[in-house]
Parts: sequence; C-alpha cells; structure tokens
Amino acid sequence: MSDMSDDNDYYSDEDMFDGTQDEDESGDEMELDNFGDDFKVPAKDKKKSYEVDYDSLSQQAVEKLMARDINHICSILGVEVDTASLLLRDQKWNKEKLIEKYMDNPTKVSVDAGATLPETGPPPPAPLRNSTSSSSQSSNRRTTRGSKMLGLGPKTKSPTSSPTISHHVPQSLKRASSKKAEDFFVCQICFNDAPNLQTLALDCDHAFCTECWGDYIVSKIKEESEHSIRCMAEGCALVAPDHFIRDTLLPAPGAPVGDVERESQNIAAWTRFQELIVRHFVGCNRNLKFCPYPSCTNTVSCPSAASKASLASTVPIVSCGARGIGPQDQEISKSQQLGFGLQGKEHRFCFGCPIESDHRPVICAVSKMWLKKCADDSETANWIKSNTKECPICQSTIEKNGGCNHMTCKKCKNEFCWVCMGPWSEHGTAWYSCNRFDEKAGVDARDAQSKSRASLERYLHYYNRWANHEQSAKLSVDLYAKTEKKMEDMQITSALTWIEVQFMKKAVEEVEKCRTTLKWTYSMAYYLAKGNEKELFEDNQRDLEKAVEDLSELLESPIEPDTIPTLRQSVTNKTVYVQKRNEIVLEDTANGFLEGRWKWNVAVDGFDDPEETVL
Amino acid sequence: MDARLRRVNKEIADCKNDKSSGIRIDLVDESPFHLKGSFPGPQDTPYEGGYFEVDIVIPESYPFQPVKMKFITKIYHPNVSSASGAICLDILKDAWSPVLTLKSTLISLQSLLCSPEPSDPQDAEVAKHYMTSKSSFEDTARYWTQIYAGGPGPKEKSDGKDEVAIAGLERAHVDRFEALGFQRGKVIDALRRLNYRGPNVPKIPDDRVVEELLK
Ligand SMILES: [Zn+2]
Ligand SMILES: [Zn+2]
Ligand SMILES: [Zn+2]
Ligand SMILES: [Zn+2]
Ligand SMILES: [Zn+2]
Ligand SMILES: [Zn+2]
Repeated sequence: MSDMSDDNDYYSDEDMFDGTQDEDESGDEMELDNFGDDFKVPAKDKKKSYEVDYDSLSQQAVEKLMARDINHICSILGVEVDTASLLLRDQKWNKEKLIEKYMDNPTKVSVDAGATLPETGPPPPAPLRNSTSSSSQSSNRRTTRGSKMLGLGPKTKSPTSSPTISHHVPQSLKRASSKKAEDFFVCQICFNDAPNLQTLALDCDHAFCTECWGDYIVSKIKEESEHSIRCMAEGCALVAPDHFIRDTLLPAPGAPVGDVERESQNIAAWTRFQELIVRHFVGCNRNLKFCPYPSCTNTVSCPSAASKASLASTVPIVSCGARGIGPQDQEISKSQQLGFGLQGKEHRFCFGCPIESDHRPVICAVSKMWLKKCADDSETANWIKSNTKECPICQSTIEKNGGCNHMTCKKCKNEFCWVCMGPWSEHGTAWYSCNRFDEKAGVDARDAQSKSRASLERYLHYYNRWANHEQSAKLSVDLYAKTEKKMEDMQITSALTWIEVQFMKKAVEEVEKCRTTLKWTYSMAYYLAKGNEKELFEDNQRDLEKAVEDLSELLESPIEPDTIPTLRQSVTNKTVYVQKRNEIVLEDTANGFLEGRWKWNVAVDGFDDPEETVL
Repeated sequence: MDARLRRVNKEIADCKNDKSSGIRIDLVDESPFHLKGSFPGPQDTPYEGGYFEVDIVIPESYPFQPVKMKFITKIYHPNVSSASGAICLDILKDAWSPVLTLKSTLISLQSLLCSPEPSDPQDAEVAKHYMTSKSSFEDTARYWTQIYAGGPGPKEKSDGKDEVAIAGLERAHVDRFEALGFQRGKVIDALRRLNYRGPNVPKIPDDRVVEELLK
C-alpha cells in the first residue's frame, strides 16, 4: 500500500501551494453537497490556480451588451437604431473606430455599410428594365421614399425610417392595403404579375414581391449564414435593416394563417438571424467566445484569457452553464431526474483554443502540437486502440471490458498491467515506473535508423498511455451504466435508500475527470525537457495514476446488498483521495506555468527556445 | 406550380424567342434544372469564331442562390480552369443577384472572354502566361479555340512546341491510348475532337475514344 508515502509526499509539497488547498480531509469548512457527509467539495468562491474567472451569458444577455453599444452609437452619431446596428456590424463592432471614421466621412461609412444610398453619382442600375412600373425608376427616390413602396397604402412607413427595432408596420395592414390601380407590376424574380401582388422595397425602391423577399432572406440566412442581406437588385449595395427582415419573416399578430410550412420556416430563419448577429458580435470581441456545443446559444466572457500572452501561463477551461445537446437529448435516467442535474454532459470547452473539452493541465499551444502529432502518426499508433491483447505469459487473448488496467489472465492467473504489460505486483512501488519513459535508449542510439526507432518508441510510450486513459474513461462510464441498473434494482429488493447507492456515480465521475487530467499529462511529459522539474511532474502523475487505478479496480468489484456498506466506505475514501491527487497535479502544473518552471524540448510559442531538442 | 420551375421555364422560353443575342439554352436530359448554354466567342478576341458550351446546374434555392456554371468546351482563359472548366466570376458567387437570369449570366461569361481578369485568376498557369506574354497567350487561346471550339485557321501548328501541352491534354491520357497501339498524333487529334478531359461533363467512356480512333 503506497498511500502513506503518497500522503507524505503530499504534505511535504504543501508549501508549493498558495493556501487555497484544503489540507485536511476531515476539515469542516468545506461546503457540503448533495451527498450529505460522503463528499465534501471546496467552497466555490475559492479560485484555484488552475481555474480562470469567467461568466457565462445567455443570448439575451449578449443582446443587451449589443443594445448598449448600439444605443451609445445612436446617441453619439445621431442615427437610428437599425442604422447604428448596420454601421457597427460593418466596423466589426469597434465603436471607437466607427466613431472616428464616421466623424471623418459619415457618407462613406454609411454607404459602405449598406445603410444609405450613395448621395451623388448615378443611381444603382435599375433591374426593372422591362417593367412597366415607372415609379420604381424615378430618380428622386430619396425625397419621396415613404410613398414609394409599391403595393403599400399611404399610411405605411418606409422600413428604414422607423426609429426602433420594434414592429412598426403590422403585416395585416400591409396585406390589407390594395395596390394602386395605375401600377402594373411584374415581380422580376418570380415573374408574378397578379393584380394584388404585395411588394416590398428598401430605400432604393427596388420593389419585389413579398414572397420573393421572404424566400431570398430565408435562403441567405439558412444557406449562407448571412446577416448582412443586400437588396436583391443587381449592383444595389443597400442592406436590409433588422426590422425589415423581421417584418418580412414574422407573420403579423392576428394575421390569417397562410402557408404553415412557409411560416414556420420563416420564424426559424428569424430566430437564426438573431443568433447570427449575436455570433458576429461575439466573434468580433476577444473577451467573448460562443459555446461550440451544437444548438447551444450561450456565450462565455473571459477577459483574462483574451490575450495570446496569457495563454502561455493559463489554461482557460470554461463552461457555458448548459448541459446536454439540445432538445433532442431527452434520454434522462431516473436518478438524473432526481436532482443531480446530470442532464447530459456539461458544455465544457477551452476559451483559448478550438479544443472542445478540458485539456488541463496542458497549455493550448502544447495541446495543439500534441494533437497534430497524433493525427500525423495515427496509422503508426492505431494498433494501440485495440481492446484485446495477449497475455505476456501464456499468450491467450484477453479482452478489456472495464476501465481498470489491472488485468488477470483467466487461464494462467498472471496479473499484469494493460498499459506496459509488466507485472502488476511491481506497480506503485518506488522502483517501478509505468508512466516514465526510459530515455537512455534514445541517447545510446548512434545511427539514423536506431535514432528514428528510439524516437518512435518514445512517442508510442506517451501515446499508448494517452490513448489508454481516454479508452479507460469511456469503458468505466459504460461499466457504470450497468452497475447503476443493478443498484437501482437493489433499492427495490433491499432496505437501501437511494442516497446510499449513489456513491458509485460520484466515484465514476471523479475517475473520468482524473483520467482526462492523466491523459493530458502524457502530452505534457512528451514535450517536457529532461530534468528535475519533469521528474517531479512525473512523480505527481504516477501518484495520481496509482490512485485512479486503485479506485477503478474497486469500482469493478462485485456488488451485493450486504457488501455495500463496506464498499461504500472504501469507495468514498478513495474518491476523496483521488480528488486530492488530481488537485495536486492541476495546481502544481498551473503554478509551474505561472512561475515559469516548465521547460520544453521543442520550441513553444511564448517560451524560450529549448536547450536541446530531443525529437 | 413550383416558383423555381415557373421561372426557369420562362427563362428558357424567353431565350428561345430572342434570336438576336446568339445565346442558346438547351435541355441536357429530362430535367429543366440541368441545362446546356452556348454562345459564340466575341469578335476581336482569340475566341472569335469558336462556339462555347457551358454546363448549367440550377440549385434548389434558385434564383436566391446563384446558378452553377462551368465550361464544357475547353478554353484557354485566366478565369477559367483549363482542366475542369470551373469559372471565376463574381456574379456566380458573392455578387449574384436574383434578378440575374441564365441569359444575362451567359452574356456576362461572353464578356468575360473579352476582358480577362488575370489578377483574380481561376487558372494560375494561364494567368501567368497572360501576364508575361500576352501575344503568346493569345496564340494558345486561338489555337484552343480552333481545336476545341471549332474556330477557323490552319489546324497545324508544329513549331516544335509540345503538342500534348499546347492542346491542353494530359500526357497520361494520351499515353494510355497510345499504349493501345494507336499513333500518338492520331490520339491527340481524337482526344481534341472529343474535347477529352477525363471526368468532365459529359463523361467520355474509353469505348467512345477508341471508336473515334478507329474512324
Ligand atoms: Zn436596391
Ligand atoms: Zn416575386
Ligand atoms: Zn453551451
Ligand atoms: Zn486550449
Ligand atoms: Zn495468461
Ligand atoms: Zn504498467
């Protein structure tokens, strides 16, 4: 049992931590969670060195931020809300740049954004060459625009003259109004010439029928994810303001139900349009990132990770606050409904890079390098992912069906480690290191061929462990699903309460979390320069690995009603211990980045060049 | 009736009625959404005298999304891929407007032949040729017009240049049929006549090439 020595290591290391660590397992200052006394979690307000400050924002919250910028621009430049929105979108939401440019040349900025027509010069080419509608070609359009909207009654207003985003022209009014008798209009897109055809136009007076406008806007939004939607006339650069899009897409309140399919498609497009603008705003702001999970519309704000320099010392793992994968994720099990809030996976992602999961403790640049290396070498390493191996003693085939790496051959009873195939009895002892790669072979290599073999062996050592933790995490979750079913059954047949059979869930979650940490530590160790610091890193890695394997093994022991109380006690103890070992790895690695302790064997952005290159 | 179908039918009919433009639109098969456009090469250009065919595919959301066009006839032009016939033209992408029609788009293609845009090339090799030596570029363009688009002029051009390359054929294709026992010159002639370029529309099966070679 190596727990004692591990604990000693741990306490001797404690001065490395900045005091945010909970040192006492039985300390009572910890917050109690749903598990009663079984598990304690540290108080939420204590920020660990491996955590970043961030806020998660709903789409509405981001819309409020946008509205603040828009209103600010309205008051400074004296423009309407929709115009301000178009100007800001065109200037990538940079208010200062917009104000500066606008002060310099308001017309140019406004025309470039598609908010107004060019004041001088020839009007945009009229697309209605064959049309008998003469009014649409009138050149004095700016002075008479309000009444120029074909098909609209005199009371309706031109879209861009509306002061706010709100719904100004009830659709029913538009639909009810009749066309002027003298206008003989043919829509130049669908060639419809029906006498009561409803039409719409932007300030440019390029009129087309309402249905064509709707289909065009939907197509732009759906197929091109476009929020800047230009007039349909050739060469016309005017952009449809927000409320024009809304009035075109949304049915007026109380309007008769038309084509149901078309209407629901239009409503979906309007929802998507609003999301696209929020995405654009978020994409233009370094402090914000849109949640990458499918159909999620939340945003995370993390100003401390906005600069590239900060990413050399922090791993900004954030969560948008949502779980699951949208409305289709309806498979919620009974215990989940009972209040654990586990409706699917938490939306956890990295704020600093495109990795959509937790890659602590490794910084983005190194993670990226490692993933690229793995992708490049995927063929070489494919065999590792296999679920079966041969017993090193009797060569019979052994299948791995749980997360535990302690294997026992059914035939010869040989106990060995799935990862290194070495004897299990020596694992966890000071002289045996399953996690450490013996660099000597590479140093001794003289010729190119043995050098490249040594380099491949080195890579495979790390990749093997990386892939194994990923696989084991998945397998233990699978195995847990079976166990959970059994425990639920036991509740019915025995006197156990629901709370008493929940200890496994927490333990499996912890194992999964720790295996994720372990997985990434192998990518870090692959690139860490040889030396004392790397050895300390690998000591912590080894201790966490040993603790996780012990707990993993325990989780696979047979469960019967009369064994539950003792099992519960040891699983709970081990879970708390594993949690602590994980904290140590995360904290120490994060502190190492802050203190500049880590040195690499390759060039990494934001770090000094390596003294010697191993690879 | 489906709005897209109504519009396309009207466009085809309008084009048929207009004899002055020289633009033609024909059905390829039963579908009104897969068409073949054609037009004469513009005067005072290396394409004069040639007749150019364009493959037209009308997407689901036409006319709100641009029509897809590419040259069937091999053409030597900076904005057209000499291998695939793909076209680089703004109105086929961002600058598309739903008021544009098949005919107006084909007219735009025709005027693209008058005024190449080598700064925004589709075929970098051809664009480089155009920039470095315009007259030599025009020689090749004229030669391609002759052999692929039925243009006038002497069919022989044996001034020592690589025949396969100047015909824009792929050596592998020529080699393959030569290996069947046909004369190299004959293979080049036949592939030219067939407008052969591997997987292009319409796809030409090997049997068809051999048939041509046996003529
Ligand atoms: Zn317009
Ligand atoms: Zn229409
Ligand atoms: Zn999310
Ligand atoms: Zn990252
Ligand atoms: Zn065995
Ligand atoms: Zn091992």
